[in-house]
Amino acid sequence: MRIFDPHIHMTSRTTRDYEEMFEAGVRAVLEPAFWLGQPRTGVGSFTDYFDSLVGWEPFRAAQFGISHHCAIALNPKEANDPRCAGVLDLLPRYLAKDGVVAVGEVGYDSMTPEEDAALERQLEMAVEHDLPVLVHTPHRDKAAGTRRTLDVVRESGVPPERVLVDHLNEVTVEMVLETGCWAGFSIYPDTKMDEDRMVAVLQAYGTGRVLVNSAADWGRSDPLKTRRTGDAMLAAGFTGDEVDRVLWRNPVTFFGQSGRLDLGAEQLDAPGEALGATYAGNSVLRGARRED
Amino acid sequence: MRFGYGSNGFPNHRLEDALAVIADLGYQGVALTLDHAHLDPFAPDLPGRVTALSRRLNDLGLAVVVETGARYLLDPRRKHEPTLVSDRGRDRRVAFLRTAVDVAADLGAEAVSFWSGIRPAHVPEQDAWEWLAAGCSAVLETAERRGVPLGFEPEPGMLVHDLDGYERLHALLGRPEAFGLTLDIGHCRCNEPLPVADCVRRAGDRIVNVQIDDMRRGVHEHLEFGEGEIGFPPVLAALAETGYRGLVAVELPRHGHDAPRVAERSLAFLQHAAAEAAAAAEPRPERERATLEQVRAVLVERLSVGAAAWLHESCALVARDPDVLARRFPAAGRRCGRGPLGSPVPALDGWTVDDAVRAVLLGALPADGADLAAEAGGVYHHGDAAEKRGVLRALDVLGTGPDAVPLVRDALRSNDTRLIAAALGAFAAEHLDGDAWRHGVLKCVFLGMPLATVAGLDLRADAELNRMLRDLARERMAAGRPVPDDVRLVLARLDQVT
Repeated sequence: MRIFDPHIHMTSRTTRDYEEMFEAGVRAVLEPAFWLGQPRTGVGSFTDYFDSLVGWEPFRAAQFGISHHCAIALNPKEANDPRCAGVLDLLPRYLAKDGVVAVGEVGYDSMTPEEDAALERQLEMAVEHDLPVLVHTPHRDKAAGTRRTLDVVRESGVPPERVLVDHLNEVTVEMVLETGCWAGFSIYPDTKMDEDRMVAVLQAYGTGRVLVNSAADWGRSDPLKTRRTGDAMLAAGFTGDEVDRVLWRNPVTFFGQSGRLDLGAEQLDAPGEALGATYAGNSVLRGARRED
Repeated sequence: MRFGYGSNGFPNHRLEDALAVIADLGYQGVALTLDHAHLDPFAPDLPGRVTALSRRLNDLGLAVVVETGARYLLDPRRKHEPTLVSDRGRDRRVAFLRTAVDVAADLGAEAVSFWSGIRPAHVPEQDAWEWLAAGCSAVLETAERRGVPLGFEPEPGMLVHDLDGYERLHALLGRPEAFGLTLDIGHCRCNEPLPVADCVRRAGDRIVNVQIDDMRRGVHEHLEFGEGEIGFPPVLAALAETGYRGLVAVELPRHGHDAPRVAERSLAFLQHAAAEAAAAAEPRPERERATLEQVRAVLVERLSVGAAAWLHESCALVARDPDVLARRFPAAGRRCGRGPLGSPVPALDGWTVDDAVRAVLLGALPADGADLAAEAGGVYHHGDAAEKRGVLRALDVLGTGPDAVPLVRDALRSNDTRLIAAALGAFAAEHLDGDAWRHGVLKCVFLGMPLATVAGLDLRADAELNRMLRDLARERMAAGRPVPDDVRLVLARLDQVT
């Protein structure tokens, strides 16, 4: 089973996680920029974080045979903090980077005017930089927040097939799929969704534009939830090809729209070599990636 | 380096004859062991003889240090006795050493050398150390008054037999400046745990007197050069590094039967070794670096028509408006490719296509020197790993000058092997200071990177890098971990003594 986890905050995870993820079949991850639990106090803090998302973290992932990409944005929570407003001016520089395959996470937390402004500005940047968008839906007042998010996206002019709306559940999935956007589901140990409910959603709505992620971060979460969902799908009678579509081909198709997705084919074919190799014999130093 | 010869190597010559032979051979000094036949300090009219000798040394152009290791000068029956740690007669040793200091002062000698003595079996170690410290203090008083540096010599088999012992004694005395060290190079091989050159570096600025001879591990026998196990060029280089300016005197007290010829051979050997050490320390020749023209030429072969057009357009835009670089520089890989550059130019080994494209983009900036370094710093500091690597590679072919050194330092602080490899290119070989460069090399070893990626390794490797790599190898072996082959190779090249 090959797995692309399209939403996971590896910055908060250990090398043991990387090892277990590789063992479970994870070969690619997308790390969206988000908050750190502890609020940041200024723009410099974001610079360091973004640098790490395009620098150190992909390097770390490569040590374990996992390809790492990121989405860059000012998250909705911190969009409310005037000290961080300058981050919006910083974004264009990062949106030009190779490892940045989407704008995200953007969206609403408490649906404030500041959040409105940040969301609109960042959707414009997505158009400017020809990047897809990863949209976070609020945990509180989710249905109303999701509806409002979809309205703003529609007005932004970003084509719906370039928008992934995340953290969905049984209540919000239908309205998202109706718009033509992609639907993301975060499988958590005991909140949001679990793997059996996910299987039910897939049975009801099919595997078309659906992505499954662990959203693992610094909180109680499980980076192997993608694999558990794959196992639950198989147990429920889905075929291996359907599992591959949800856990691999769908995220590859969605983020591939950036034209910057680089899955380092050799990592997939020869995982053993990449594992533990710190320098010689892997693609890390040579940069001998697929040319496109 | 000023070489001398020990008068104890000429026991069958009158002192004045020995001095003439030594001076004629080309030595610049003599290590004078006060002995029956050589300026006997207990014979009549010592002041008169000292004055005459002083004049003679001056005429011959010989510098002098005073040695006090005569075998039967104080006791015709017991070799070296009494010493500073004997249970009886220590005062006679102290008095003799004070006389030696006076003689040295009157001769204008550079140092007075002495040792502790062998602790008699029945003397407790603590007593021996106390007696030794008391004796040294007494001699020190005279030495300080007369302005003569003392050179205390660790001697295998004696109470103070190694550098640890010297340091312990020095500390015990309150670390007086005038209490220096006589270092016998052969002894270092005989009984010190460190390689000889490392002993020299460890002793550093404490050294006031040097005796030199060959020796084998564990065997206290002074051998002619080439008969023992010491590789001398690195030792002399280390000595030069410490800033030592005193005499380096051959110590072969058991070769008196053939003294003139031994002395002749010894000087030839030492001069050859010194020349080798000096050659190794020569400023390195200008390293062959790739040029921006070569990079452009390789890209012409390598880029597709579309990519070449994009690069051409980008260069034109950048030349007009440097701000364009912020958008174009990150896109180099996805627009032009990221494969190996595959250049026939050896200095471009390891470069990728995007590295080369980024170098050309930077080269298109309407700036050079410090201004170019500042622009390169801008894209470096906002760059992802590939962009940073591109900037570091480009430094090898751009004319930024040393202003870009902080970028190399930044990369060497990272733990990203891609950046470290690119940082240790020709630019670093030329501009990075020794400490930072050596630590960069060491980091390569730590991170398992092949040393072949380091530009100018053979040219810049020095004794200090040798020491660092050797310490690392020792740590690895102690931990039961393997020492990379290329590290062994570099060590073998740096120092034949293993």
